[in-house]
Amino acid sequence: MIWHIAKKEIHHNLMTLRFVLMIILLPVLMVANALIYGFGDNGYREEVDTYNLAMERRLSRVKDDAETSLGRLAMRGPGEIYKRPSRFKFCADGADELIPRSIPISERAGGGRGGAVAEEYSWREVWTLEYLPSNHDSDATTLIKIDWVFIGIFMSFFVILFTFDAVAGERAQGTLSLMMSNQISRGQTLSAKYLGAFFTLMVPLAIGILMNLLIIYLSGNIRFDSDDWLRILGMIGVFALHISIFIFLGLFFSSRVSNAITSLVWLLLTWVCLAFIFPSLLGLFVGTLDPIPSIEIVSSRKRAQLANIEDEFRPQEMLEVTKLSEAPAPSNPSATRQWATYFTRRHETKTRIADQHVDQQLRQVKLARELTQISPIVCFQYAMEGLANTGIVSYMNFVKQVRRYRQTFIDFIKTEDRSDPDSLHIYPVREGLSQKPIDPNTVPRFVEHISHQSVIFPVALLILFNALFFTAAQLSFLKSDLK
Amino acid sequence: MNVRNEPMTTLWPIIQREFVSNVLTSRFMIGFIVCLMSTAAAVFVQVADYEKRLAAYHVVLREHQEETRTWDLYSQINPKAHRKPNPLGIFNVGMEKSGADMVSIELATPIWEKEAQKQGSDNPFLSIFLSVDVIFVFKIVLSALAILFAYNTISGEREDGTLKLVLSNPIPRDRLVLGKYLGGMLSLFPIVVMSFTVGMVIASASPATDFNVGDLLRLAMVLVVSLLYVSTCYLLGLLLSVWTKEAATTLILSMFIWGILTIVHSNIATFAVAKFPPYKLQPEKATRQQVKKIWDDFKAERDTYIFKKWGYIHPASAISHEGQIMLRIEMSSPWDLEFEEFYTIKPIHNADVSKFQEVLGYQEPLRIDYANRAEEPLKQREEIGKRNGQLARDISRISFADAYRFAVGAITSTDRKSYNDFIRQARSYKRQIVNYLTGKKAFSARAWFSSDKGKAEFVDLPVFQHRYNSVSESLSRALGDVFILLAWNVILFMGTYLSFLRYDMS
Repeated sequence: MIWHIAKKEIHHNLMTLRFVLMIILLPVLMVANALIYGFGDNGYREEVDTYNLAMERRLSRVKDDAETSLGRLAMRGPGEIYKRPSRFKFCADGADELIPRSIPISERAGGGRGGAVAEEYSWREVWTLEYLPSNHDSDATTLIKIDWVFIGIFMSFFVILFTFDAVAGERAQGTLSLMMSNQISRGQTLSAKYLGAFFTLMVPLAIGILMNLLIIYLSGNIRFDSDDWLRILGMIGVFALHISIFIFLGLFFSSRVSNAITSLVWLLLTWVCLAFIFPSLLGLFVGTLDPIPSIEIVSSRKRAQLANIEDEFRPQEMLEVTKLSEAPAPSNPSATRQWATYFTRRHETKTRIADQHVDQQLRQVKLARELTQISPIVCFQYAMEGLANTGIVSYMNFVKQVRRYRQTFIDFIKTEDRSDPDSLHIYPVREGLSQKPIDPNTVPRFVEHISHQSVIFPVALLILFNALFFTAAQLSFLKSDLK
Repeated sequence: MNVRNEPMTTLWPIIQREFVSNVLTSRFMIGFIVCLMSTAAAVFVQVADYEKRLAAYHVVLREHQEETRTWDLYSQINPKAHRKPNPLGIFNVGMEKSGADMVSIELATPIWEKEAQKQGSDNPFLSIFLSVDVIFVFKIVLSALAILFAYNTISGEREDGTLKLVLSNPIPRDRLVLGKYLGGMLSLFPIVVMSFTVGMVIASASPATDFNVGDLLRLAMVLVVSLLYVSTCYLLGLLLSVWTKEAATTLILSMFIWGILTIVHSNIATFAVAKFPPYKLQPEKATRQQVKKIWDDFKAERDTYIFKKWGYIHPASAISHEGQIMLRIEMSSPWDLEFEEFYTIKPIHNADVSKFQEVLGYQEPLRIDYANRAEEPLKQREEIGKRNGQLARDISRISFADAYRFAVGAITSTDRKSYNDFIRQARSYKRQIVNYLTGKKAFSARAWFSSDKGKAEFVDLPVFQHRYNSVSESLSRALGDVFILLAWNVILFMGTYLSFLRYDMS
């Protein structure tokens, strides 16, 4: 019986203007997405080329340094670390423009000294990670990209247009009481309506996705492997969960109110709030809820702490012996140790402040993400970004992995240095480390591991929203009047 | 009753009836509350953000003033042009949180927008969250409400059978359309005005916002343009209501068009132009190569001239000395945009620098001149970007929702052009600084490279003042988009009027 009513619903839906509009618009958007991402400028192929070029440059620099000396490599570090571009940006762009694509290395810090009491010495400080923001220049309102997420959000709007009169419309026409006069439970009626709407919406979506993938495939710019196809299947599943929530929401409002138009008004405003107002306002509200020190405060703190270290180590003109009056040299271990202490203190201070600051910023973003997941549309977006490995979470994972790599690199330098009997084994001073070249192939390389853990929570929430709205729609329909 | 002689007596009841029937509906109440609350919340969040940006702006200004006091040499001069946060950005964010906030003025460095610095935001990652402001709320929520008020104006009455009854009275159809339009607008008017007023009250309550008369005038214009936009949306609903026979069809069709115009259209236009730019940019590497070539030319011209005139192969050769001196020259890397040679001579009293000063008096103005030449290829890049952006905007403004956004952006000076003005002002400030130094004969002064016989004086150094457009300039910029909105109003009204005259009641 359920299937019979569902078929009737599907038939009815297929004959409506909204279905015609959707069957036109959805494939148009999917094709536009495929053309733009498949053939447009700065596409995946160009991103990969840029990434490969940057990697090549980095490796050649590491090779040069390694072939010069371990000491040089230790001071200059592994070079700027790039994040691998995602081939699924066409599915979930994840505000890519706003997220840094690499973590540069600060290596300019250095200086020189000389004069009456200090030996001439110019140095380069040991490398540190720098977390530079992305310098975008787009208008805030034009950052929305025509990706699958956007299409999904627009599709939820269509779901509203399909369901706002599912119960209220039949009630107004009097067909609801006729239907209920048959031997069919209300639960079955609601399920049939749900299935009818679900299949009507999923079919154009499936057609759109197939067209999209076909164009992307034919463009030759993006190649998918078996793991990628699984991810695409996962995304279609997320789409289905997302659509399902809005069908239940539509059925809930439609059975709750007596008039189809009131149902639409409620649904429309709820949709606007869930799609735009809540995610934006809650996201921005975090700045007030969980404030972090401003960039100016952080930089002044950093300056003050570095100045304290400087004061402690600065050779003073009137003193005969000062901590850094002698230049480091393999023949002068005590001076080299002094310099190592000086560099280590500065390095630790800079690293601690930079890490702490970016951690605070990312913690704020994390809180904002958690708050905004009150909206199922946002959960859908985060689940898609998680599967596509785009968005801020992928950057957070990248930062964690780069920090682990930093430690691996330093450990490698120390281990290699220990194998040289001529070295003073004093890190991080160039003169205190091995001056012999090393095999560049032994230098650890950064390999980014993709994690899909961030998908679990939003998908769980999507399932929860489904259960919640299903219950709400059931209860609302059970209690609703037939006339 | 002679209807033609008493237009108001027939028009007013129609307006009244339409107004009452709208105001008493649940959609009015729901719409009112949602619009009011969204506007209040958006202003609250944007005010907090504005306060932070303003505080950061004052901090960097103060730091910059302190930094100015540390300059001992003319060659150390490095003033900054800071973009002042715009209080009207609370209502329309536009470019307020994007682009550069500070341009560092270095004499021999070309100003390139891309390399200017972004400041002011404590957490740049938060910009991944869409920035909702009052105009966004109006653009989405109010337009939807206007359509929801209008969709059944004709087709609904036709379905109910009341349209026939109304037209059986001696009321001309044009008056009925006009009455329905005015009645609908009258019911939307309090929502727009109240929401806007609440937004203004919240914004004014902040001690950071100090709206002047010009700002208030601009806000009043924003309100008028918002009403014009709401009117366009209402007329769209009204036209569709005349064209379709069933209210449900009107509703679906108008919601579909609403979705396309407010959400899809501008994003597709902007994104498509970004991905398929009609004006192609050459790779950045090629531009940098052009800049490098210009600096190579500078070096060649300088070296030839100083060799011909003084017989030196390098400016530093002009330093003669008795006893030992240490000369240090800090140079920029060949791929940097600037050409830098910073000279330190120790101990200076051992050196005779009179000829060196002469050489610098020739070299520095030439270096600045070449920096201006090096700026040209960078400006060309910016220009191409602007042309692509302009095309995207031109395509976008076909939709009245985007015409509304652009009009408000121009009025509040938060649009792309106002941002470009800031970069232009920074460039003109650099010229001021060069003139200032030329007037002081700073390039050939000893204080250019040494403070042993007196430090460089920066007492009357020009200070950068970020100036927004005047109200009349802003209005003239917004006129095009206001005209588009007006044209849409006229077209839609005429369309509705003509369609209704030929409306088939059967």
